[in-house]
Amino acid sequence: NIDPESLLPKLPSPQDLRPFPTTTATVYRGHVGRVRTLSCDPSGIWLATGGDDGTVRVWEILTGREVWKIQVGEDGEAVNVVKWRPGKEAAVLAAATGDDVFLIHPPIFDPETESATKDLLSAGWGYAEIVKKDPLKKEPPAKWTKPTSTQQDSGIAVIITTKHTVKHISWHRRGDYFATVSPEGQNRAVAIHQLSKHNSQSPFRKSRGIIQRVEFHPFRPHLFVATQRYIRVYDLAKQELLKTLQPGSRWISSFDIHPGGDNLIVGAYDKRLLWHDMDLSTKPYKTMRYHQKAIRGVKYHQGGLPLFCSASDDGQIQIFHGRVYGDLMENALIVPLKVLRGHKVEKSLGVLDVEWHSRECWLFSAGADGTARLWN
Amino acid sequence: MDTDPAPTPKVQVQFVTRHADIAVPPAPILVPTNLKRYGLSQIINHLLDTPTPVPFDFLAAGAFLRSSLDEYLTQHGLSAESVVTLEYVRAVVPPKFRAAFQHDDWVSSVNTLSADGDAPLILSGSYDGIARVWNISGQVVAEASGHTAAIKAAKWTPNGAGIVTAGMDRTLRLWSCDPESSAITPLAELLGHKSTVTHLAVDPRSTHILSASSDSTIGLWSTTPATPPPPPPSSLLPPKPSKKRKTTSTTTTIPRYGALALLTGHTGPASAVEFDGKDATVAYSAGWDHTIRTWDLATHRLVDTRTTQHPVASMCVLPSLSLLAAGSTARHITLHDPRAGASEVAAGVLRGHTNCVAALCAGGEWMMASAGHDGTVRVWDVRAVGSGSVFVVRREGGGGEGVTGREKVFAVEWSGVGIVSGGEDRRVQINETPTGAEGVEPKL
Ligand SMILES: [Mg+2]
Repeated sequence: NIDPESLLPKLPSPQDLRPFPTTTATVYRGHVGRVRTLSCDPSGIWLATGGDDGTVRVWEILTGREVWKIQVGEDGEAVNVVKWRPGKEAAVLAAATGDDVFLIHPPIFDPETESATKDLLSAGWGYAEIVKKDPLKKEPPAKWTKPTSTQQDSGIAVIITTKHTVKHISWHRRGDYFATVSPEGQNRAVAIHQLSKHNSQSPFRKSRGIIQRVEFHPFRPHLFVATQRYIRVYDLAKQELLKTLQPGSRWISSFDIHPGGDNLIVGAYDKRLLWHDMDLSTKPYKTMRYHQKAIRGVKYHQGGLPLFCSASDDGQIQIFHGRVYGDLMENALIVPLKVLRGHKVEKSLGVLDVEWHSRECWLFSAGADGTARLWN
Repeated sequence: MDTDPAPTPKVQVQFVTRHADIAVPPAPILVPTNLKRYGLSQIINHLLDTPTPVPFDFLAAGAFLRSSLDEYLTQHGLSAESVVTLEYVRAVVPPKFRAAFQHDDWVSSVNTLSADGDAPLILSGSYDGIARVWNISGQVVAEASGHTAAIKAAKWTPNGAGIVTAGMDRTLRLWSCDPESSAITPLAELLGHKSTVTHLAVDPRSTHILSASSDSTIGLWSTTPATPPPPPPSSLLPPKPSKKRKTTSTTTTIPRYGALALLTGHTGPASAVEFDGKDATVAYSAGWDHTIRTWDLATHRLVDTRTTQHPVASMCVLPSLSLLAAGSTARHITLHDPRAGASEVAAGVLRGHTNCVAALCAGGEWMMASAGHDGTVRVWDVRAVGSGSVFVVRREGGGGEGVTGREKVFAVEWSGVGIVSGGEDRRVQINETPTGAEGVEPKL
């Protein structure tokens, strides 16, 4: 009899794979009801959160001090997504509630950045006028409007109104485009919005399933589109489908692309965490079932640390080492490192969103328990 | 057969100290190995012929002796024939809670002014944007109000002539201060930083102020409007206040100055800055980029960069040891020798905090106090790196509204008044440390 364990290659010990987050460093308290979404700004010092109370809040990350908040959700509508625009020359926070996306410049930045931000967000008004007058143009998937002067004073620069509830936002790395996902929107579920032209487009003519998430490739002109079962990769320049990944889960909740561009993690409501090596196959390279409940968020560290994580309704965040080798012959090394416990499960909901800090081994999490947390 | 009780084993001990006034003869003495701290302390008292016994602590191999000599020998694999060198110091008594000064908002910084002959004054900076001067009885004698966001740092300028404050509105502000008439007058607004000013250092020997900012630069500023520094770049001027904003008549007339220099090198938010204890042209800074950097203030040049394992959140100079202590966001305090040629490797790691070390302050030659997001202030003896903290000072919660006693501590200073700390519990807390116990001298 051979012990099957003995045939497995020895994994390195977690102690040798430090640093990785192990404990709660800061708890961000203030939201009433669930915290659904969070995002750390490009300078790495402000955390934005959004939640069921319809507010967007900005926090000083180490002290947990709330420095600014705004009510954007009307009549108790939740903020489903907050996402900072990449780039340090301007400070734009996109926040989605209902079918509206607000482009906000929280008044916590220096006058130079604030003025650059205002310029960036207002430059497109002229283009929008021209497009409106073109009778041949079909109706765009979203409308760009100027906020009221009260809204402008409070930091809202642009309101983009789509036709269905926006559940996800993904910025292109250069910060001129972002994509929104409205799962109920069928053939208009995905819209791509261009800041410089105040223009919104639907890249797909027909619906191929209920779309969950989209992400831009970190450096190629590719868009990854996840339905409940598949992740399709499109070349935006050539307007063609490149490949279809089949994670094998019944309902994808989230996915993230490795900064190297060839690997991808997928989280699913059926508790599965899947790692795809796109060079190897359209099927997962590894399937992990460590969570007790649905996975709601998966994220790679994008700032140079070989880490990734999954967040679940079981209230846990699982931290993994995930090293990708340049050598095509060598498969990724995946080592479970740590289970982070702290968020309470409320009405069967646990951790709703996660994001890594851009440089440090710091992880932010948003909980149904009304708190966000920093782990280090 | 009758046997005498086995003779108590003995070991040769050489007692040494760094304090001349309590030195004993250097020759080794044979002492019983079952002695612990108390018995050893009795020996020193006997050798010194002290009129009333003074408690002493003993250091061996970088830690306080907390066991018997016998156990120490066993633990370190030493034979009874070896000569054990024990360093002794006056035992420090635990800091005693003296007072708490209630604020309206979180306290981000504290700084004591202990001018000769005068009662000490405590300056606190708060997240409500106000810096307050308190007398030791807990009365606010003056307030500096003008910052448009949280104050993160507040310091007395040399000889208590004024104060300097800075914070989340990215400005530094200079104020003159006359506590007798409760008058604080704004003198100047110093502009140049593009993000939160996190920390300030004031040099008592010059007219210079240093600032650390989340914009990753270190600012060098002058406190003397007599030799006007350059005006700030116009792009950094705050927008004209809207009609709605409350403005006092004074804020509009304060002169604005730029920096003498903005020192670049850090690649992430800078969290701490200090002048060298001996040379006013040398400064140190630390930041989230994991580095401790040395600057030549005469040439504005970056002289040295030390890389640590974690983001650095706080730093202090231990002047008599020529060491820097750095507190990490990952809960360690590391000791570094910044001198050229010194080892890159940290000279010691102090463990005990369970969260970010937000502030550090030297107290006397060998001691240090640290403030942590774990809700504690800790007292350390750098000679006993292996022993952990000597004392843990907790918040005197007092059962205030929403106060648990576990709130983050953001600031600590060890001054003639004692250990002064401030934090999320909206209090300045003072814990007395008997002067003379460990040579904790009041500092200006
Ligand atoms: Mg590969």
